[in-house]
Amino acid sequence: MPDVQPTTVSVENPQSYEDTHVHAVYDEIAPHFASTRYKPWPIIAAFLASLPTGWIGVDLGTGNGKYLPLPADRPGSVWTIGYDRSINLLKIAKRAGDVDREVVLGDVLDNPWRKGAFDYAISIATIHHLATPARRKLAVQRLLQTISPSHGRGLIYVWAIEQDDLSKRSIPTCPNPKDSRFDIFTLINKGQDVFVPWVLAQQADPKPKGRKGKKTHAISSEESEPAPTAPSSPPKVFERYYHMFAHGELTDLVTEAALETGLVIGQPPEAIVPGRKIQGVQIVQDGWERSNYYVEVHRWEL
Amino acid sequence: MVRLITHNLLACHAKGCTSNNFPLQFQDVSIELRDADFNADFLRGFLPRLEWPALVGAARQLGDTSLPAEQPDMIDDEFLQKLHHVLLEIHVEEGAMVCPNCKHVYPISNGIPNMLLAEHEIG
Ligand SMILES: C[S@@+](CC[C@H](N)C(=O)[O-])C[C@H]1O[C@@H](n2cnc3c(N)ncnc32)[C@H](O)[C@@H]1O
Ligand SMILES: [Zn+2]
Repeated sequence: MPDVQPTTVSVENPQSYEDTHVHAVYDEIAPHFASTRYKPWPIIAAFLASLPTGWIGVDLGTGNGKYLPLPADRPGSVWTIGYDRSINLLKIAKRAGDVDREVVLGDVLDNPWRKGAFDYAISIATIHHLATPARRKLAVQRLLQTISPSHGRGLIYVWAIEQDDLSKRSIPTCPNPKDSRFDIFTLINKGQDVFVPWVLAQQADPKPKGRKGKKTHAISSEESEPAPTAPSSPPKVFERYYHMFAHGELTDLVTEAALETGLVIGQPPEAIVPGRKIQGVQIVQDGWERSNYYVEVHRWEL
Repeated sequence: MVRLITHNLLACHAKGCTSNNFPLQFQDVSIELRDADFNADFLRGFLPRLEWPALVGAARQLGDTSLPAEQPDMIDDEFLQKLHHVLLEIHVEEGAMVCPNCKHVYPISNGIPNMLLAEHEIG
């Protein structure tokens, strides 16, 4: 796994913290970052393949738009709009798969859409960049609001504290055993705020798609291919902020976010109370896939 | 890119602006026409999700009057071709979208609408 360093977020101004340690970084590393993100993760591909023809969705934190062309076997059967805060990544995403895409510059903490206008929303490897639990919860609430109350579906992925190192799970070990922020108990139960370096060679010539023979690595680590270092100038290192989620933390976050919005959690009840409308959300699957936790939700209304 | 498929979904989200905040009005736009792949099944499925009067109004603002004011009952291929063109082939490359209620201006540059708000404008 990448060489992560524990960090502590200054809670006074999480927005400017994210501006420095997330947004500025993505805008700088956009072309190289995009060249490493081309392999769709299996559960996300399956989710998009399961959608009925004619559905419209939004990809919250689309990055280089690698999920916009899916499903691969029915291109154009659904329409996913890419949404992100990095203009430089959007300039790449708007031609994802060499087709004109729809992309919008915005923040996942906002909701610049007609309420419930989308049939589905995905948010992949994005909510973990928000620097406080309250902001991560708000992002989930925004996602729930963007999708249809009667049939909307959502899929969220975040980086896990349990990392897949060559297909076995590991927990990041402490660089300094005396550092209590990084002790194993805290990690497993609370998650961990970290910096993850992105090494950007100056005048890097990033390799394009189609690298073979490193399959596990390409899918499993969040993205960590170091740039081919140009010998002339020293590489530039950018520290990106992440919250690595603890086991169960994402499911708890989604549950809390839904309850606070007034949604019932679970399956729709069999008996309908006449004259009373109830809205709910069902967690249809949650789990761990290749260093990430994910949750799929379906909204319902009776 | 701002095509009318996206315009039909966007709404103003400035602080306190919760009614009459849709559809946004185009201002000083430059447009480009580009072919897109026609997918009749997608369009048929997507049609009920559209805010029809907003789509017709936005198309007229961009100089396209091919759509009827009322959504037709008969969905034939000729209609779907027109819908396809209006939704997916007219690209607003530069200009802005303005909220009909609070007049907030959302700029469009390189085909990308900027829906970010300044911190004090966030609701
Ligand atoms: C690790 S990338 C994931 C990109 C893409 N979903 C993927 O899986 O390849 C994280 C993305 O989240 C975006 N992002 C981070 N914070 C955001 C925010 N508050 N609002 C919108 N996008 C944000 C970044 O600009 C970046 O594109
Ligand atoms: Zn407004």
